[in-house]
Parts: sequence; structure tokens; C-alpha cells
Amino acid sequence: MKTINLFFLMFISIATLANDEKYYEQMGKQIQAVYTAKTMDEYQAAVNTLDRIAAAEKSKWEPYYYSAFGSIMMATRENEGSKKDAYLDQALAAIEKGKGIAPNESELVALEGFVHMIRVTVDPASRGQQYSGLAMQTFGKALGMNPNNPRAMSLLAQMQFGTAQFFKQQPTEACATATKALSLFDNATKPENPLAPIWGKEMTAGLAQNCK
Amino acid sequence: MKLIFALLIVSITITAWGQTKISGSVKDDQGEPIPGANILIKDSYDGTSSAIDGTFSFVSEEKGSQILIISFVGYKEYSQPIELTGKAINIAALLKEEINQLDGVVISAGSFTAGEEKRRTILKPVDIATTAGATADIAGALNTLPGTQKVGETGRLFVRGGDDSEARTFIDGMVVLDAYGPSAPNTPSRGRFLPFMFKGTSFSTGGYSAEYGQALSSALVLNSKDIAEMNQTDIGILSVGADVAHTQVWDRASVSGKIQYTNIKPYFNLINQEIDWRIPPESGEGSFAYHQKTGKDGLFKFFGNLNHTSYSMYSHEILDPSIKYQYDLTNNYRYGNGSYQQSLNPKWSMRTGIAYSYNQNKTKIDGNPMNETEEGIHAKAVFEHSVSEQLEVRMGGEIINRYYEASRLNAATDAMESLSFTEPLSAGFTEAEFYASSHFVAKAGGRFEYNGLNDQVYVDPRLSLAYKPGKQGQFSFAYGIFRQSPLNKYIRLNNLLNAQRAEHFILNYQIVTDRKTFRVETYYKRYDELTKFSTGNPTVITTSGNGYAKGVEVFWRDNETLKNVDYWVSYSFLDTKRDYLNFPSLAIPSFASAHNFSFVYKHFITDWKTQLGFTYSYSSPRTYYNPNKPSDEFNSDRTPSYQDLSANLAYLPKNNLIIYVSCTNLLGRDNIFGYEYSALPDANGVYVSRAIRQAAARFLFIGVFITLSKNKSVNQLPNL
Repeated sequence: MKTINLFFLMFISIATLANDEKYYEQMGKQIQAVYTAKTMDEYQAAVNTLDRIAAAEKSKWEPYYYSAFGSIMMATRENEGSKKDAYLDQALAAIEKGKGIAPNESELVALEGFVHMIRVTVDPASRGQQYSGLAMQTFGKALGMNPNNPRAMSLLAQMQFGTAQFFKQQPTEACATATKALSLFDNATKPENPLAPIWGKEMTAGLAQNCK
Repeated sequence: MKLIFALLIVSITITAWGQTKISGSVKDDQGEPIPGANILIKDSYDGTSSAIDGTFSFVSEEKGSQILIISFVGYKEYSQPIELTGKAINIAALLKEEINQLDGVVISAGSFTAGEEKRRTILKPVDIATTAGATADIAGALNTLPGTQKVGETGRLFVRGGDDSEARTFIDGMVVLDAYGPSAPNTPSRGRFLPFMFKGTSFSTGGYSAEYGQALSSALVLNSKDIAEMNQTDIGILSVGADVAHTQVWDRASVSGKIQYTNIKPYFNLINQEIDWRIPPESGEGSFAYHQKTGKDGLFKFFGNLNHTSYSMYSHEILDPSIKYQYDLTNNYRYGNGSYQQSLNPKWSMRTGIAYSYNQNKTKIDGNPMNETEEGIHAKAVFEHSVSEQLEVRMGGEIINRYYEASRLNAATDAMESLSFTEPLSAGFTEAEFYASSHFVAKAGGRFEYNGLNDQVYVDPRLSLAYKPGKQGQFSFAYGIFRQSPLNKYIRLNNLLNAQRAEHFILNYQIVTDRKTFRVETYYKRYDELTKFSTGNPTVITTSGNGYAKGVEVFWRDNETLKNVDYWVSYSFLDTKRDYLNFPSLAIPSFASAHNFSFVYKHFITDWKTQLGFTYSYSSPRTYYNPNKPSDEFNSDRTPSYQDLSANLAYLPKNNLIIYVSCTNLLGRDNIFGYEYSALPDANGVYVSRAIRQAAARFLFIGVFITLSKNKSVNQLPNL
């Protein structure tokens, strides 16, 4: 009887392990796909796959995170304002679902700020004030949850840089934030979660280039 | 043990024969392929995206009864039970368009919506604030839209041949009595509510929903902002006063308060005024807003406003200007509006509200007091029910109770005498909105009203249709009967007066793209039951007046063609006549002008960190009453045309600092709005005239606005 129980237990854990393995394997592939996508079709395919994984898993925030990330990337490549908004709405919906699973995940909040930041680009004249303030505030919230989140810091630097450019000011503050973000990237320890986001270092380095 | 091995073996074999190929195509109901749709087996990883031609194919490891789901933004989710047995499956899926999407048909006849910034709207809230010549006044900005007639000496909204009382303001669905602040006779008044309080504005020039009653020509529906997003303090230093505001935000609630002091005296000392002021207008105002989220999606909003204004001036006789009267006015105003909205379940939602208005004008003419008080309570509840994706039903009830009192000193008896009335009004309305497809929508409903003062019952139909044949252009039609009680000064003499009545027919065509709008609208409006002095005696009042208005309006807005430039052009043609009040027959009222034209231009100059704006307005000559003419030439005289070129400039030297300058009538044109005549003829038997002019050629306004917040990138631009 004992052996049977043990066997059963083993069987179950192997089964879940197998499931998790499938999750990590699939996620690894799709994360790579959103990081390297070049065309709208590639993004759409990756976002679709991530949405499928999210729907099947139900208790994982990462698929929602990367699905939202892919939608944001599509928004940045879209020229027509209303379609841009539709992609951003989609991203925000995914982030909200992710937050339902992991309410204290700083990365999700940072991504939410990213959505507000791209909203500005649809119509800077009428949206700039509202959404740039909102974006800044959201990055601040993400940093409040995790002061070492390099992406939240980097996006904040982007926003500050844009504001300084708009007002024809020296981007001193933005550059300081960018430097801080870079050091966060450099000092980041290998995350426990193999699916944790790692993007943003190059973008930050590019921004820091402008400071020299 | 054996059993388990057996189980294991079984499961392995199932896997072995458990691969099923699923292929097919995804199309919309027009037969067009949908690329990029997500195809999946529910609760599994298996699935794919549709290709450019809408086809797809994938292999699933799942087995048995499963559900295939196909989804794409803007379409309803498609789901289909399938049996995975290893035999290939072919699916031809037709996705139905979701109605109410961004590009879907919307009812647009008669209305201009400035709503959520994400939607394609014709005017955004910030546009209202940055229109030159409007000096951040809502009515001022709306006066650049088609359907309005500029009546410069009032500063109010006059819509499609209607007078200013026919355009009513609603905040969060609740009526506002006395929406304009006090002003000296023949000088423009400002709206009591500033545009920055609102996230959305819907300005309807006719054919509006059955929800809105007691408005004959126009409904201006303002939706106040939701919960505030960040803590901030705003300070404004203006050429005519100062204000300070603070907003505090919590997780589920926010509070903001503002106090404002206005004194025009220093300005009037610098710039000579046409008006003989004794004490120029001085006012103090406090406002308060509180928002609280409740439960899952409930929202409670409260807004309150207190204002005290006073001034004193001399009014000169026309025949002998050396004879003058002292005219003093003190106005006290209070407004409170509380509303609550919540969804009851996925199919039902509810909005309720209660609003209180109090307006008191205390005037003294050479020391003789004359007071006028209006007080009103409005309570309302609306229920909305989504019967299906295509059918929405709305119903509600409201009570509007108004108390009015006018009193004056009778010089002969030295006693105060007064006239007053209470008008209890109860109303119910219901409306159904039916989306036949994303190309056609119909809204039909009715409004029932019982007036307890004159004991009358009114039942009025409303109907709107919209048809969108293609992706962009759409046609709309609206019809309705609208009623409004006569002015207080007439009801107080005859409590049994019937409600004034207007019937609207509107036809509209518009094309709205992301950054361009073209719109043309034509209408016919029939007036009945207008107030009339039956025997020429202004104390014997009937409702036998009538009239009509018809016209064509064109609007064009473009903020795409020229970089950093946004402009709009509107033109309105109006043909209207009415026989009411003291009119001997059908005649053009003096507030109507046949042609109105506006050109609004806004340019953001990045290098100067400055937004520059110009507005040019033109109104064709208006009629005026000349008592020297025989009665068959009533209102046959014409004023010169009205023209104005205004400019404004907002300069942002720092992130949280704005310097704002605006000036009206740059060209200094001497606009004449009409003529007043002496009460009695002069020695030669001629009534002497005096032109009604602008109080000063120009109005110059300078303001400095500072925002203090943790977040330095925030400024008050959206508020200006």
C-alpha cells in the first residue's frame, strides 16, 4: 500500500513537473519571439500564443505580462491613432488580468506606466499633460514596490527625457535617472524566476548616450 | 500495482493516437478574411494564429470533447465544441462584428460630443479651454460651433433661433438653474462652471434624449471628472483676481477644493469702460468636490459651489444722460450636486442624483429694493438594462421642484409686495436603443411630464436613427417634441400658462476620421405655445405665440494637414421668425442673425514652448425694434454686422508654470449689438436711440498659473 502511495505521489509530481516544464519551455520560446519580432504579424502571432497560454494556465502572470508587452510594441509601430489606442487597450486589459494574479508585481505596474507613456504619442497636444503625469506616477508606484526595478527606472528616465526635450531644458534629471537605471541593470542579480523580464538595458544605454 | 501500470499504459496509448489536425478559415460576416485571429483549444496551449488569407492549421495533442475558440479584437468570440479523435477537423468560422466599436455607428444628429479623449470626438475638453476669444468660458467656446448665434452683449448660448433661456445646462444628468453668473445689463456674463471640472461635454443643438426635459432648443450635458489622480496644489494669479486649489487623493477617494476672488476694479481703472461703474464687480467663490469609489464599481460624486457677487453702477437716461439712477446688485448663488452610479448586475446599472440650486438677486434702483429668488430641487433615478448585445433599454423618473419669489417695494404704500409660485414637476421617460448591425442604430422613446402648477400632462416622443453605409461617412436623423415652462417673470403673473413647445426635425451627415471632421446638418424647428401678450398688455399673458426656425450648418475641422496646427471652421445659416411677446405678427427676433461664421486656429510653436490661438467670428446684422416705425415695420431695422478677431497665448517656460495672455477684438471694431430707445418721445415726438456697444473695445486677460505637486511635470494647461 505504501509503495503504491509513494508511486502515486511520484506520478503526480512528475505530471505537474512535466506541465511546468511545458510552461517554461513554451514561455521561453514566446518571450524570445516578442523580444525579437520584426513585423506586426510576428508580434500578433506571439501575442496570440501568449494569450492562449495565459487562458490555459489561469494562475500565471507572466503570459499576461508578455502579451501586454507585445501589444505595446505593436502600438508603437502603428501610425493610426485609434488603432494604437486599441492595441494599448488590449495591453491594459492583459495587465489588469496579470495584476489580478500578482497584485504586487512591480514589473506589471511599470508596464502599465509604459501604456500611459505611449498614449501620449497619439495626440501629444491634448493628451500630454494628463497621460505624462499619469505615466510618471505609475513608474513611481512601480519603484515603490521594487526600488531595484531597472525597467521602471529606465522608463521614468525616458519620460523625463521627453519632458526636458519638450521644454528645451537640459536633461540633467533624466540622465541621472538613466545612469541609475543602468546601474540597476548591471547590478541585477540573476532572478529566481527564469521568466522574469530582462529587456530594456539597450534602450537605457541608448538614452544615456544622449547625455554625453 | 498492476492497476497503475495498466493505467499508465492506457494513457500512453491514448497519447499515441491522440493527435488531431485542425484546419480551416476565419472570415467576417462580409466574407472578408481575418488575419491574426487567435485560434485555440480551451484550457490548452494548442492553437495558432490565422494567416493573411484567414486560413489556419494546427495539430492538437488534446483528446475527447473540447471547445475551439476563435477571437479577434472588434469581433465577438467564436466558440465551437469539437470532438478530437485523431480525425482531421475542418472549421469555417464566421466572426460577427462587435457592435459599439470605435468605428461603429453612433447617433450624431444634433449633437457635438467632447468626451473621453480616446474616442473620436469633435471637440475635446481641452479645446474648450484653449479657444481664443472664449476666455475659458464653456459657452464662449461653444459659440464657435455651428448651430449657435453669437449675441455678444449676453455671452450666452443662443441655439437655432431660440433665445438664451431655451438652452439648458445639465451636470451629471442633473439640471442647473441659472447657469450664468450675474453681469451688468448688456454686458456678457460667464458660465458659472469652468471647463476643467468636466471630463466630457455633450452639446446638443436639438433632438436630444428623452432623459432631458425642460429644454426647448438645446441641452448642454456636462459630465464631471471622476476620482482625481494625484495630489496637487494650483495657484492662479490673474489680472482680475486670484485663486488657489488643492486636490488630495486617497486609494478610493479624492477631495478637491478651490477658492477664488475676483475684483475687476484695478483692471477697470486702467482701461476705460463704457459703463459708469460706482463699484465694479467683485466676487468670492468657493467650490468643493468629493469622489468616493464604493464596492466593485460604484462611484459617488459630490460637487458644491458657493458664490457671492456684487456691483453698483449708474444707469443714464437716454433722453437726458445727465439724469442717472444708481443700480446695485448683490447675487448669492449656491449649487450642490450629488450623484451615485453602480451596476446592479452584468445586465442592469443604475444612476441616481439629487441637485439643489439657489439663486438670489437683490437689486436696488436708487435705493428701492427689488429681490428675485429661485430655488430648485431635482431628484432623478435612471436604470439601464442591456437586454442583449443589440438592445439597450433605459428608463427613469425625476422630480423637479422649483420655488420662485419676486418682491419689490411699492413706493405708494411703502410696503413690500411679492409674487411667488411653486412648480412641482414629475416626469418619467423610457428609451430603447437598438443596434440592428454596426451600420444601423435606432433610438426611440418618450417622455411623460406632469406639471402640478398648471395641472397639465405632456407626453412627448423622441426618435433618432443613424445609418453608416461604409467605414467613415454616416447619416443621422432625429425627431422630437420638446417642452419648457415659460420664464418665471411670466408664470408669476399667470400660474396656468401652458409649457412652450418645440418640434425638431434634424438631418445630418458626417465623416469623422482620427484628426479630421466634416459635418453638415439641416433642420426644421416649429415653435408653439410661446408666451404672448394677448392685447399688447404685458400683464395679460397667454401662450398663443408661435414661430419657426430652419437652417443649414457646416463644420470642418482638421488637425492633420499642417504640423502642430489645429483649426476649425463653422458656418450656420438661420431663417427664423416668431410671433411672441409684444410682436404684432411673425418677425425676426433681435437675437437672431442669418449668417454666423467662426474660424478657430491653434498653433503650437515648439521652439517658443507656446500655444498661440486666433478666433475670428462674424455674425450678420441683427434686427432691432425701433418705436418710431409703424407696427407693420416691426423689427425691420438692422444693426451693422458683428466681427471679432481674438487671440490668446499660453507660454510654458517651466514644467509647472504657465503664463497666459488673451485679448478680444484685436482690431478694435466698434461692434453694435442693437439700440435702446427712450421710454418717452422727445419734444419733436421722436423716440431717441442709444447704441448697445461693447463695454470696452478689448478685453485683456493675463494669468500666471503655478502647479505644486511631487511630480514636477504637471501643469495647469488642461485647466485653461
